[in-house]
Amino acid sequence: MAYDQRILRALYKRLIAFYPRDFKEQLGESMEQTFNDLCNEKQQAQQPLVGFVLWMFIETAMGIFSEHLSLINSGVFMQTIRKTLGSPLLVSLLFILPFMIMEVVNRRSLNEGFPFMLFFGLWLNLFAVSLILLPIMRAWRAGDHDMENSAPAKGDTLLITPKSVLITGLVIILFAAIGPLFSGPSSEVFGMQVPSQFIAFAFLSIPLALGVIAAKPIVRTLRAGGSLFAHPLPLILVVLISFFFVMSVISLIVDQWPCFVGVPICD
Amino acid sequence: MTTTSPNQPLTPAVFHILLALSSGERHGYGIMKQVELDSQGNVNMGAGTLYGSLKRMLDAGLVKESEKRIDPKLDDERRIYYQITGTGAKVLAAELERYKRIVTLAQERKIFPKTYGL
Repeated sequence: MAYDQRILRALYKRLIAFYPRDFKEQLGESMEQTFNDLCNEKQQAQQPLVGFVLWMFIETAMGIFSEHLSLINSGVFMQTIRKTLGSPLLVSLLFILPFMIMEVVNRRSLNEGFPFMLFFGLWLNLFAVSLILLPIMRAWRAGDHDMENSAPAKGDTLLITPKSVLITGLVIILFAAIGPLFSGPSSEVFGMQVPSQFIAFAFLSIPLALGVIAAKPIVRTLRAGGSLFAHPLPLILVVLISFFFVMSVISLIVDQWPCFVGVPICD
Repeated sequence: MTTTSPNQPLTPAVFHILLALSSGERHGYGIMKQVELDSQGNVNMGAGTLYGSLKRMLDAGLVKESEKRIDPKLDDERRIYYQITGTGAKVLAAELERYKRIVTLAQERKIFPKTYGL
């Protein structure tokens, strides 16, 4: 019974983690205590826990949904999105702008089409690198760092255990292995012909998401004044994933450089 | 719904929380139990509703957090207690006054018997 309760409490704690950050920080601890108190009450009264727990989980899940909805309505959600995505969007657009100008200025003929997909690919890779690295750079600048202090900041974070990093590594290897399957002009997905570029771009979201998640504990620790090296495994992941995106950008630029500078037969 | 003006009607959850806190500081579980008691078991507030309402009430200044302390009736964990503020008390009084007016009106229209003592 006590074992069951420990599991239930751990699950409820996980559920509370889905609340918006401010809510979680202000009331998360109280919510956990209340859940524990209610569990104890049921246990002392020797009442079955199943119905109560189911009701609590559903009711809390509805509360989480409602809190997120009210955040969206209040505009805070959009502010957060703007704050998170604004700089990476700007940086990546500014970076590809000179290449776009070069492409237009050095056109081989006036009827030549603009390579939108090429620039979209370039932008997407740059956006991914910026999204992963800019928060780390910002946190590095904001924090008062003590390189001797390698204590990681407390908080629930994914990708800080060797097991989760191993799983992540396997996902990346899988990603790299299935990537070439979509190298043709189009591929069949659920019976529909989808251009391979779109599938490739959709697959970019996997390492991007992993990079953002891996960067989180590093950002948190840097903000708290800790060391960049406090989370070695996530740091390795961030470096590897960023390297992957940077190499994609470099290879695209090197490959297309003759076209950018106006070489007559460049493709 | 955030309520700061005494003229705005309260949601049932906010009303019951304010009523529970009007008799003293309580932690989350204590509020739940008091609401159950006040409503004679008719209102069973879940944690999602309770803390969602508390968050809005804290933001609106109707309640405030007290210092953390141990509840001797429960385990030895330190709990956050919540207490009603001056604004919260005014809002609760205004809501009760509104209820009273509605009951008086219902009695005048003979919808509600006067023997209920209001």
